[in-house]
Amino acid sequence: MIQLSKISKSFGRNPVLRDISLNVGTGEVVVILGASGSGKTTLLRCINYLEKPGSGEIAVGDLRVDCSRARRSDILRLRRKTAMVFQQYNLFRHKTALENVMEALLVVKKLPLAEARRRSVELLEKVGLGAKLDAYPSRLSGGQQQRVGIARALALEPEVILFDEPTSALDPELVGEVLEVIRAIAKEGITMIVVTHEMGFARDVANRVVFMDGGLIVEEGTPDEVFQRPREERTKQFLRRITPEANYSI
Amino acid sequence: MQLDPSFIWTAFVQLLGAIPTTLSITVVSVSAGFLIGTVTALLRLYRVPVLSQIASAYVTFIRGTPMLTHLLLIYFGLPMIIDALAAQFGWSFRAVSIPMIGFAYISFSITAGAYMSEVVRAGIQAVDRGQLEAAQSVGMTQIQSLRRIVFPQALAAALPNLANSVIGMLHGSTLAFAVSVVDINAQAQIVASTNWKFFEAYLAAALIFWGLTVLIERAAALIEKRVGAYNRGGVA
Repeated sequence: MIQLSKISKSFGRNPVLRDISLNVGTGEVVVILGASGSGKTTLLRCINYLEKPGSGEIAVGDLRVDCSRARRSDILRLRRKTAMVFQQYNLFRHKTALENVMEALLVVKKLPLAEARRRSVELLEKVGLGAKLDAYPSRLSGGQQQRVGIARALALEPEVILFDEPTSALDPELVGEVLEVIRAIAKEGITMIVVTHEMGFARDVANRVVFMDGGLIVEEGTPDEVFQRPREERTKQFLRRITPEANYSI
Repeated sequence: MQLDPSFIWTAFVQLLGAIPTTLSITVVSVSAGFLIGTVTALLRLYRVPVLSQIASAYVTFIRGTPMLTHLLLIYFGLPMIIDALAAQFGWSFRAVSIPMIGFAYISFSITAGAYMSEVVRAGIQAVDRGQLEAAQSVGMTQIQSLRRIVFPQALAAALPNLANSVIGMLHGSTLAFAVSVVDINAQAQIVASTNWKFFEAYLAAALIFWGLTVLIERAAALIEKRVGAYNRGGVA
């Protein structure tokens, strides 16, 4: 269970998040939509303190963090309850696929090597990379790297996984394999907050869709409500732009 | 005056005894310099109040003055400070008991630290910010992220420049003759003037330095290959 209350954040004098509140229930998959500059990525990054919120409160499970006076230990605990999958994958470049997944198990969870290895192999097999355990990221395709990124996020058994445009940097033919993996773990009941532009994916995986604009949540509802019967003009405009009428005649 | 080829060999053999002196100055100044440089680079990167300003002043002063000047400043300045402190606190230690090579160790470490701080800083800045974010996102502490994720990659990026620093310090160690430390070059001078065969003696010294430098280059290439194994498929 994740509760964000009145999260605000400015870059300099430019406000990017204005008093945002959002609740995400256990096992829920929430997709955040919005144009670039709407604050959706910043909101996601505030949840694990990669961006420091100016004010507000973040609650993950039984941990509550008041952002105006968060201590270093609070931030660390928050990060250990969350995991993130990055747009640019951000795999540890000097570590193999297996070492990438094992790293946090060894260093953060302090598991014995054999146990960490066993669990990491399991996770990599689950994302279809059982044959690439010893490959360095530079040897993997974008889709493979992102699947390692997902395995790394799963390793710590976080209460929520944050996906920051996980397929935006991928070649179109590689998007499918990554979405399939995300879809599979969504079905297992893992709580997820996903920032994406993949409308089809949002439609069939999300329990709830949140539309952001100008640092505010403009509209939220089930995928059906938001996609088929949007109430707000800004949502309608955005959806028109992102899903243009099919017209491929030459 | 005529070249005496056989004396090159004679000089060469006589110079071998000075190699340990040269190497010890190089190893000490590079190791201590790497530590000083790393600390200095971190202080500046993290903009630690007061200390980062001191670090910046240290780097610009040392890089702005010759290595020989550092050696002379330490040689004449340090004993004054030590003896004044000893008198103040009643220590029995006196500056005269510092061996000459000690001044070379101290001053060259200070020199190397300033140059290497720039090498280390460039290496750390070459590491993508996303690497640190990824480490933090899985709950690693700042220290763990730096030690396990950032530093290994920074080191790989900095290696060619570090090798340059090592070679620079090897050749710079010849300046130690100014405080009467007999390194390879100073030994060549002694051999030359007692036999009146300058060119041959310095040629022998040059060959030894070249040989040592080639060894350093080889070692650096090997380490680079190991440390940078993950990097295949870059521009090269």
